[in-house]
Amino acid sequence: MNLVACSVIENREITPGNFLLTLKVPHRFARPEPGQFVHLRVSPETEPLLRRPYSLEGFFERGNTRAARIYYSVVGRGSKALATQPKGQTLDLIGPLGVGFAPRPRRVPILVAGGRGVAPLLFFARKLRERKRPFVFLFGARGGRELYGVREIRGGRLHLATDDGSVGYHGSVLALLKREWEAGEHTPLSAEIFTCGPHGLLHEVAGLAAARGIRCEASLEGPMACAVGACRGCPVPLRAGANGNGARYPAMCIEGPVMDATIVDWERLP
Amino acid sequence: MTPDLGVRIGSLALRNPVLVASGIIGYGAEYERLVDLSAIGGIVTKTVTRHPRAGNPPPRVVETPAGMLNSIGIENPGLEGFLEIKVPILRTLPCAVVVSVEGEDVQEFCELVEGVSGSGVAHAIEVNISCPNVGPHGLRYSTDADMARQVMTAIRPLTTLPLIAKLTPNVTRIAEIAAACEACGADAVSLVNTFVGMAVDSISRKPILGTVLGGLSGPAIKPLALAKVWEVVQAVDIPVVGMGGITSPRDAIEFILAGSTAVQVGTALFANPALPEECVTELERYLRRADLPSVADLIGALEVPAERGTIRAGRCLPVEPKSRGSAS
Repeated sequence: MNLVACSVIENREITPGNFLLTLKVPHRFARPEPGQFVHLRVSPETEPLLRRPYSLEGFFERGNTRAARIYYSVVGRGSKALATQPKGQTLDLIGPLGVGFAPRPRRVPILVAGGRGVAPLLFFARKLRERKRPFVFLFGARGGRELYGVREIRGGRLHLATDDGSVGYHGSVLALLKREWEAGEHTPLSAEIFTCGPHGLLHEVAGLAAARGIRCEASLEGPMACAVGACRGCPVPLRAGANGNGARYPAMCIEGPVMDATIVDWERLP
Repeated sequence: MTPDLGVRIGSLALRNPVLVASGIIGYGAEYERLVDLSAIGGIVTKTVTRHPRAGNPPPRVVETPAGMLNSIGIENPGLEGFLEIKVPILRTLPCAVVVSVEGEDVQEFCELVEGVSGSGVAHAIEVNISCPNVGPHGLRYSTDADMARQVMTAIRPLTTLPLIAKLTPNVTRIAEIAAACEACGADAVSLVNTFVGMAVDSISRKPILGTVLGGLSGPAIKPLALAKVWEVVQAVDIPVVGMGGITSPRDAIEFILAGSTAVQVGTALFANPALPEECVTELERYLRRADLPSVADLIGALEVPAERGTIRAGRCLPVEPKSRGSAS
């Protein structure tokens, strides 16, 4: 992890309100793992005051150039400021940070993405393809326009779902996951789940995984101040029994953002 | 000629007056790769309590206009955990280490001061009688001069380390509390801790913080903090350590001009980990340009009409800069 200055190669609005940011990063920025994040200063000004944590959508090396990509939606002050940063702008970031996805050998990863939560899973799918590992990618969004990045998902089996039925299965990605599992091809010893999206979806995926004894990792999202474990501002509530000897809140920034979904107390996670 | 940046807090000689505030940098190691500790005066640790604390339920932080509200709840490993896990790390840091402590009662304050003092790792102790996020006891000790007196009187004989009383701004007359701490043997006071604040989500109709109330920090509070420092430096003779919303080196210089012997960088470090170091560099440049031989010449150098107040605190003698702060 380092503090590095980056320059904006591209900051493009892909669909209304959804942006893909490509940053040129120096070699001092270590190669990230899928699921890791960066703590980005979204503007050279002091407003907004705090950095914003973003999972990486991808990391690319071509020749001597290294680029990190972030897929984000304009939802608040930070992302609004970020959306105005032009090509060539210098922004600094701290990273790569946190714990990424940890697939077990010889198990089929089932990736479950909801909306813009697809970002770290696209990075993950590219890595799996590079390693020639088969995977299943289940991706749900409100409508077809929010199905970002589907053309880049190669090397695995892809199923789509939309709330409005415009593309793929008409309904939730959770139904796709149930169908996938009930087809009987997978067992808890042969497959595992990796998920990212709204916490409501992650809660449901975790419930399904826990009920069937499937290993399941979820990438969490939340406000962070330091992002290096110092300020203790991003606690993850754990279920009773998962707390060890006494109550304890792991910090999302250093013990996450990817965590065992079945130990998280989703009711108490904002 | 290189200006002398050294200052003294009681018997503690700091090579320069820039510290990192408690609750910002953990116990030093967390920010090791991001903050050059060898360039700054020192750090104040995350507050240590007598027993481990898990902290408050989420959400614990929310950004507000030009600031941030927090409700961490002093998550820390407790005194035994601190001595076992954190002290070995703190020993390796290339700067002065001020250990922040907070007890739930006078007895706990005493045990903490004895424990921390005995560890040999601390160059000074910051007595946190001002956290807004740990139920009634924290603020009780610094909103009531008698309670502050009880704590300071009890712990003073237990250590030879400099004691810095950290004050809350959430009081009507902060100068009275500062004077009470001075009278009971505090070597310095530090201020301000956060201002009690609140954020509301009008869509969910819920408070944003898990504990409803939190502490406000960041540039939004700088003018409020400067006013509190100004009030206290007129009321006490011991050094004042100023903080509250320092976001640029100029902010740090403003606190020194207002009478702070040393300053602490807080929330802004999250955005700019290089800020403490930048404060040191800019302070030196500022002194050079003003042709002042030492930072002591800047402390309380604010030009104020006589009828508007006189600075008493912060009259310190310059000291030789040292490679590492030491309590002598």
